Amino acid sequence: MSQFTQQVILGLLLGGIYVAVALGFSLVWGVLNIVNLAHGALVIVGSYLTWALFTRFHIDPFLSLPIDAGALFVLGYLLQRGVINHIIRAPLLFTFLLTFGLNLVLVSLLLLIFTADFRSVTPSYSGAGLHLAGVTIPYIRLAGLLVALVMAGILWAILNRTRVGAGILAVGADRDAAQLVGIDLRHLYAITFAVGAAFAGVAGGIISTFQSITPTAGDPYTLQAFAVVILGGLGRVSATVAGGLLFGLIEVLGQSLPGLGSGYANAIAFVVLVLVLVVRPRGLLGRLA
Amino acid sequence: MIAGETRLPRPIRIAVLAVGAIAMLYVLLAPLTSLDAAQSAGLPLLTDRLWFRIATTVAMFVVTASGWNIIGGLTGYASFGNIAFFGLGAYTVGVLVANQHWPFPLALLGAPVIAAAFGLIVGLALLRLRGHYFAVATLGVGVAVGEVVNNVPSLGASTGLFLPIVRSDLLFFYLMLGAALIAVLTTWVILRTRFGYGLLAIRENEEAAAVIGVNTTFYKVAAFCVAAALTGLAGGIFAQWNSFVNQENVFAVSDNVQIILMAVVGGAGTVLGPVAGAVVLELIIQTLAGGGTSSVYSQVGLGVLLMICVIFIPRGVIDFFGGRSRLSLGYLRQTLRETSA
Repeated sequence: MSQFTQQVILGLLLGGIYVAVALGFSLVWGVLNIVNLAHGALVIVGSYLTWALFTRFHIDPFLSLPIDAGALFVLGYLLQRGVINHIIRAPLLFTFLLTFGLNLVLVSLLLLIFTADFRSVTPSYSGAGLHLAGVTIPYIRLAGLLVALVMAGILWAILNRTRVGAGILAVGADRDAAQLVGIDLRHLYAITFAVGAAFAGVAGGIISTFQSITPTAGDPYTLQAFAVVILGGLGRVSATVAGGLLFGLIEVLGQSLPGLGSGYANAIAFVVLVLVLVVRPRGLLGRLA
Repeated sequence: MIAGETRLPRPIRIAVLAVGAIAMLYVLLAPLTSLDAAQSAGLPLLTDRLWFRIATTVAMFVVTASGWNIIGGLTGYASFGNIAFFGLGAYTVGVLVANQHWPFPLALLGAPVIAAAFGLIVGLALLRLRGHYFAVATLGVGVAVGEVVNNVPSLGASTGLFLPIVRSDLLFFYLMLGAALIAVLTTWVILRTRFGYGLLAIRENEEAAAVIGVNTTFYKVAAFCVAAALTGLAGGIFAQWNSFVNQENVFAVSDNVQIILMAVVGGAGTVLGPVAGAVVLELIIQTLAGGGTSSVYSQVGLGVLLMICVIFIPRGVIDFFGGRSRLSLGYLRQTLRETSA
């Protein structure tokens, strides 16, 4: 029994990471209608930033999260304004190919700067955990889950309680009408992508605390973010949270099935993805078809 | 519109066909002079080993890009999972030759069959999805099949499969060239049949196509199977040519994107577009990779090239060089205006 409880807890903790990764991805997809294949690369840029700040200046990884967010916000704004805005109205195949190219460039640049060596962030408390009735909860993963939930809260507040958020939602709902009431589309697209990138950066910061990072470590996260958004549904922060936690649970419990193992993480994700797409295409809680 | 968009502009077609004819003549003569006998007789060399490898790779991408073109270009379903067919074809030959000790020609026949069968299953499940959903679901197929293969011990798991080495650059070159001809002819034939018109109708407007009596499900799945068979064939030849298959060399998603890029840049939906795209881009990539620099720079180069192509020539060379407009700064500005925010 405690074995099962342990699996459920690990699933929820992993789900927290997926929530963090998928929030920005979902925002960009919902508002800009771009499936950003470079999202994982942005996540890993955040990881490297946290790693660099930790090894050079001994800044605690959790304290570096706001710095990740700020830096990725700027990078995201520039990418959207300078590159992606140019093809925002092109057919989806092209936005797909463009973001794939962007991913290739970002990953290759990371390889050139940081090489392919595994890097890890190891604060003094990284091994500590809470032991309760035969169940272990690593503090660092717990903190990751909490940060992810706070991120979801912040995103909800931005979208529903600020002027910029109202603009983002307006553009997501009807681009032309939003332009008619005086919203600067180029700027708002860039802001939206920047917010998405900032959330990716924070997710990357969390990931670096429990996983060794390499320049290519981000690619699986892109696919998983997609699966989370499909699972939960597009157009709601709460859907992403539910989708992420559920997806973490499915992955951990799926790997513990006899005959399967950690090598099947992507295959399990994919099977879930296809089942949801075929049975309920708008996700469990989604607003949009 | 439909009939017009399936052909490259006349000057381009003539250029591609002319270059193709010269290239064919060259490749038919090349082996004669690279034979040992010819060399000892002092005939001038037309080619060397490296060029055979590059030419075989180009032919391989002609097959895979043409295969993608049938589902992505003609039918309008952007598949990011065609690499799964390539990998399955390669593993079919790998398993039959390395584990079951079948002769290679017999095993090669199995490659397109297995790939098409898989295409049938995947197609029935996924071709009801559209847009992003289809693209990423197929991307997931590519990743998932690669991962499963990587975990099954009888398929060599993460080590991969080693086939007995067949040392013959000529054989594989001609095999791949033959496959390329089959792929191009298949596209050409499809575009001249009722089936082809049905696919184009689906691409332009699926509901309308259904209304005028196109059995859309059957047409889409059939197109997917044809694409799968061609791609699987290329994978099967690759397996014996390379004499080693593992997840990394036959299930790479980046190869899938490269295939799409070739078809799109050359002109998706045309017969010769994917051929032109495959030849031009593969030569560029080989140049980037072969210039003595590390492969990281060639990756950066490929990424930048991809982004430039997508931003500036989103409609492929069909538009770029001929037809309705000319290559000019004004043209680039206009494409930008049409697609940017």
